[in-house]
Amino acid sequence: MNVTLAVKQYISKMVESSGPGMKVLLMDRETTSIVSVVYTHSEILQKEVYLFERMDSQNRDSMKHLKAICFLRPTKENVEHLIQELRRPKYSVYFIYFSNVISKSEIKALAEADEQEVVAEVQEFYGDFIAVNPHLFSLNLLGVSRGRSWEPSMLSRCTQGLTSVLLALKKCPMIRYQLSSDMSKRLAESVKQIITKEYELFDFRKTEVPPLLLILDRSDDAITPLLNQWTYQAMVHELLGLNNNRIDLSRVPGISKDLKEVVLSADNDEFYANNMYLNFGEIGTNIKNLMEDFQKKRPKGQQKLESISDMKSVRRLLQNPRLSELDAVRLVMLYALRYERHSSSILPSLMDELSRRGVSERHRKMVQSVVEYGGKRVRGSDLITPTDAVAITKQFFKGLKGVENVYAQHQPLLHDTLDQLIKGRLKDSQFPYLGASSLRDRPQDIILFVIGGATYEEALAVYNMNRSTPGVRIVLGGSSIHNTKSFLEEVMSATTHSSDRPTGSGRHGSRR
Amino acid sequence: MASSYPPPFEGTGEVKEGFLCPLCLKDLQSFYQLQDHYEEEHSGDDRHVRGQLKNLVQKAKKAKDKLLKRDGDDRADTGSYESFYYGGVDPYMWEPQELGATRSHLDLFKKHRAARIDHYVIEVNKLIIRLEKLTSFDRTTSDAAKIRAIEKSVVPWVNDSDVPFCPDCGNKFNIRNRRHHCRLCGSIMCRKCMDFVPLPLAQKLINGTREALCVYGSPSHSQSPPAGGGSSGGGMGSRRGSISSLSSVTSMLEEKDDERIRCCHHCMDKLMKRQQKLEEKDHTPDIVKLYERLRMCMEKVDERAPEYIRMAESLNAGETTYNLDTAGGLRLEVQKYYELIDALSKRILTLGTKDDPPPHPKVLQLQRMIRYTATLFVQEKLLGLMSLPTKDKYEELKEKRKQEQEKRLQQERLATQETLKRRQESERNRPPVSTNGELPQAPRAPRMTKAGGWLPSADSGHAHSELEDPLLQQIKNIQSFLRQAREAQRTDEVAMLEENLRQLQDEYDQQQTSLAIALSQKLAEEESLQEGEFKRLEVWERQERWGPATQSSFTREQPLDISPVGGFQDEQDTEAEELTPKAERSPSSVRAFPALTSQEDSPPRLRSLGGHITPPGGEGQHGSSYNPFDEDDSTPVEEDPSNPFSEDIKREHREVTNGKKEYNPFDEDVEEDNQAENVTGNPFEEDDNTVAGNPFKEASGNSPGVSTNPFDGDDDSEALPDLDMIEEELLLQQIDNIRAYIFDAKLSSRLDEVELLSENLRELQVTLQEQKKKKR
Repeated sequence: MNVTLAVKQYISKMVESSGPGMKVLLMDRETTSIVSVVYTHSEILQKEVYLFERMDSQNRDSMKHLKAICFLRPTKENVEHLIQELRRPKYSVYFIYFSNVISKSEIKALAEADEQEVVAEVQEFYGDFIAVNPHLFSLNLLGVSRGRSWEPSMLSRCTQGLTSVLLALKKCPMIRYQLSSDMSKRLAESVKQIITKEYELFDFRKTEVPPLLLILDRSDDAITPLLNQWTYQAMVHELLGLNNNRIDLSRVPGISKDLKEVVLSADNDEFYANNMYLNFGEIGTNIKNLMEDFQKKRPKGQQKLESISDMKSVRRLLQNPRLSELDAVRLVMLYALRYERHSSSILPSLMDELSRRGVSERHRKMVQSVVEYGGKRVRGSDLITPTDAVAITKQFFKGLKGVENVYAQHQPLLHDTLDQLIKGRLKDSQFPYLGASSLRDRPQDIILFVIGGATYEEALAVYNMNRSTPGVRIVLGGSSIHNTKSFLEEVMSATTHSSDRPTGSGRHGSRR
Repeated sequence: MASSYPPPFEGTGEVKEGFLCPLCLKDLQSFYQLQDHYEEEHSGDDRHVRGQLKNLVQKAKKAKDKLLKRDGDDRADTGSYESFYYGGVDPYMWEPQELGATRSHLDLFKKHRAARIDHYVIEVNKLIIRLEKLTSFDRTTSDAAKIRAIEKSVVPWVNDSDVPFCPDCGNKFNIRNRRHHCRLCGSIMCRKCMDFVPLPLAQKLINGTREALCVYGSPSHSQSPPAGGGSSGGGMGSRRGSISSLSSVTSMLEEKDDERIRCCHHCMDKLMKRQQKLEEKDHTPDIVKLYERLRMCMEKVDERAPEYIRMAESLNAGETTYNLDTAGGLRLEVQKYYELIDALSKRILTLGTKDDPPPHPKVLQLQRMIRYTATLFVQEKLLGLMSLPTKDKYEELKEKRKQEQEKRLQQERLATQETLKRRQESERNRPPVSTNGELPQAPRAPRMTKAGGWLPSADSGHAHSELEDPLLQQIKNIQSFLRQAREAQRTDEVAMLEENLRQLQDEYDQQQTSLAIALSQKLAEEESLQEGEFKRLEVWERQERWGPATQSSFTREQPLDISPVGGFQDEQDTEAEELTPKAERSPSSVRAFPALTSQEDSPPRLRSLGGHITPPGGEGQHGSSYNPFDEDDSTPVEEDPSNPFSEDIKREHREVTNGKKEYNPFDEDVEEDNQAENVTGNPFEEDDNTVAGNPFKEASGNSPGVSTNPFDGDDDSEALPDLDMIEEELLLQQIDNIRAYIFDAKLSSRLDEVELLSENLRELQVTLQEQKKKKR
């Protein structure tokens, strides 16, 4: 139940079975991410892989002394590129690995193109997901939903990603899904369909307790991604943006050239490894500089905020000129989610306040979108208890000085869901099984998938669960890993109509 | 060897042995009796057996649970902070994980490909055969019409009238845009779409294919087709001759194809592909050659570096398992590989950079990456390559270690003495253990304990055992066992004992040999105090580790006060007699001896050995840890500070020190490199000659000390073949590199390294000179 290791093993197997000699790795855009997340450059260089090429790159010279390892998603374009490549091979021998199931007809087309007999291997290696951490994977998909239903291409990609996780971990699970979300049901059915169709692939050794796949929907907990997450990893993602464990600093003015892209990898960075799940404040002393930066970015007048005990102070807060636009919007969003149906809701006046502050139209629209996305109407479970709300606001406003209080103040909904699941108390009425059979024992191997994206805070929750409950192994996945910004984009793309979608969140769009 | 025996005394009454009934634990003297007993008493009640077994299993389970529980608690305690050391990775997640699911499509792929390939291969071969026919006659002397006739005979030409437009470019044929026939497939193209196979290329293709297809008889083979082809094709040609008569007139306007063969570019394509394949087959680019060597060097480093690190660690800890010079040599060797890697990767980096046009950017990138990897490799491995202690430092380290070990030894002795005392007390309070069972086959044999083993005390001495060389003591013990065994007519055990005895004797012989060496060396040369100290300590150390087997060096000084050898025999015998009763009082010690096996002969040899025994020194200190029989001794040697022997021991150490200084066999090797050659690998070999009279000479061959000899010349001979391979350029580069290293080492004041490196440099320069000479 270690997704990083699973992908690593796949790749090292590919490299090993190609034998000694200089090698080139041919990938497509997605598999490049998949490989680069688990392997560093120098690590893979040691395996005699010296060149990394995109399959669709035109700028490749014939180098007959190289062996080519092709790791590709089984898309139409890739197969076409491969056919062209085989007709005029540039390398001496080809080892072809598809990251997912490929059709027989495509194999035939490839075989017929291989007139020079350069292909030495054709396999399916199911590394079709991005293994962010050992128990966290992402599919890097943004904008999976259109309204309350699937964007069609996204459903199939999610299905592929999820089934490949199952295959890589060798799990043939029972499936539960969130009843309140139609998308969850659709995905569950789609996964089930694949398992049925490829039954011989899923024929693994039976374990005493079958593994469980639980499919959730982000809209059930829209609060978590709006909150600041206080672990190092989450913080970096929130403030700098973390894509495939890489930080893109190229837009920071005056950054030195070798810092344009920084890789955060637990395997290679000891500091990161030791601190990725630590509360940001706890490691604050270690990274004073970063903290100072952070404080510059978030001047919030903390002394004043510490006395907040009532949501009504939100208004006063909003008037604070030092609050950034995005933070102001987030504040109102949280308020809106909390007091959506409250009789004395002051949401309209808060909205006025926002426009007085000069918050852009787009941002103001977002508040509505968030409610639409994650409001009560949508939610299947009771997200916010009254005591929670206060805690949440507190956490939101606390600066670094109050960090020790912030720690553990907000538990994502996922934590409770998991807790109930492990104890065998998760209600079938809310999270039904797909199919007739159900699990009699408590689950041991659990794969969670959050449609619409997971967060690092949830990853932390899963990490802690893994540690505190021996015998239970949990892997968390999401269509992406969100920070507030990317989450808002997700929300916007889900709620706006397809015509005026933001372009950045198109198919497989990058996060920023 | 004695040290591997289990402790001679078992905990009282815990362990029963003999032919015990598994159910009622009754002791039944023999196997047959046991069988009878079992059949009578317990036949049929296997329920009972199961019950017994169940009971046992439950007990085991309980114990296990207890253990596990404790285990679990421990884990819970440490888990919380430990996990962060695992890089934020939960240890529970790191269970061994097999490779995920895979599915191969290779079979399907091959099936489809095979169908396709067959077709393709046939096509290409057809073209080649035709090409062969077209080139098998003399084109330059034949006139155009004749050539045409032959060409037409090879493949039927498509009718002009059937093709009004060029099938490739679609242009209409007319008087200006004329039709051209492909000589290989007969199809029609326009001039623009036409290609030519130059004759040399055609020849190459034909030859290459022929080589691939049939290896022998090719010349005659190539001659035959034109005849056959000409005649059969001739028919075809004449048949079509009339049809194409018109075109034959127009063809006069065409230039004559002397040096080339017309063909369409489809055929050309296929031929070019074939040609490319042929070329690749026997062409290895420079980068591949260099790269292969680079990898070879890396493998060597991977193989040698851990060995070196092991040595260096051991040496830095002051141990004497390895020789400082061997390690130095190995270090040099590894460093040489590093330099080779560096030089080779540099070569790869600069490959073709001066070419015009410059290589493809990807080629350059590849070269950069290889260089980068090599640099990483060197950096990573070189960092782990700790430096060796200097000679002075090594002496210090060894001294320190020696002291520590002595301390520990003392403590151990103390401990054994105490336990021994305790045991003996319990022995006294214990009723004699009844022997269980005799050999039914030999009822009249002297009464022996079945549990196996012989008392060492039958006639060997104990009272003064501290004084003895443990080796000798053991030999004597075994001799006494042997006697007992023979008396009991246990042939198998006799054989086993003989074997043991022989081994001991061999070792003893070695000891004697080295004594002789010591003597001869002493006369040979006076050496520096430091070197002597160093070597002595090393030998001493080795002996410490290997026990009596390598006592050799320690007894070196003994011959200095050599006394008539024979006298000792009696003395020891009397000693032995004294001890006999004592040892027999503790019969349980008998069990300590593992089973021994058979043979029969050796007394004569034994006797002769006795004759050569030299007086043993006060070796008890070391011997005790190896020889369990020492424990029988009741005099607490080490406990007593006023012990006469402790004085003895100390003095001996001093003696050893002094003695070594004078006649260390290794000294000259270390000091004078030029003399290293005449001191051959095994110092004992040479010395065998000097001790010509030694009757056990052959035995000294398997001396364990030999293996660590640093002067085998291995270092040089191993490195040299590689050096031979190096071209001058590489050598020069290496020299540059080493100069840089020296500079670096000087800067960081690693003087020992500087020394090694400069030596290395000199060596390289010599090699370079030789290489240059060879060239001339």
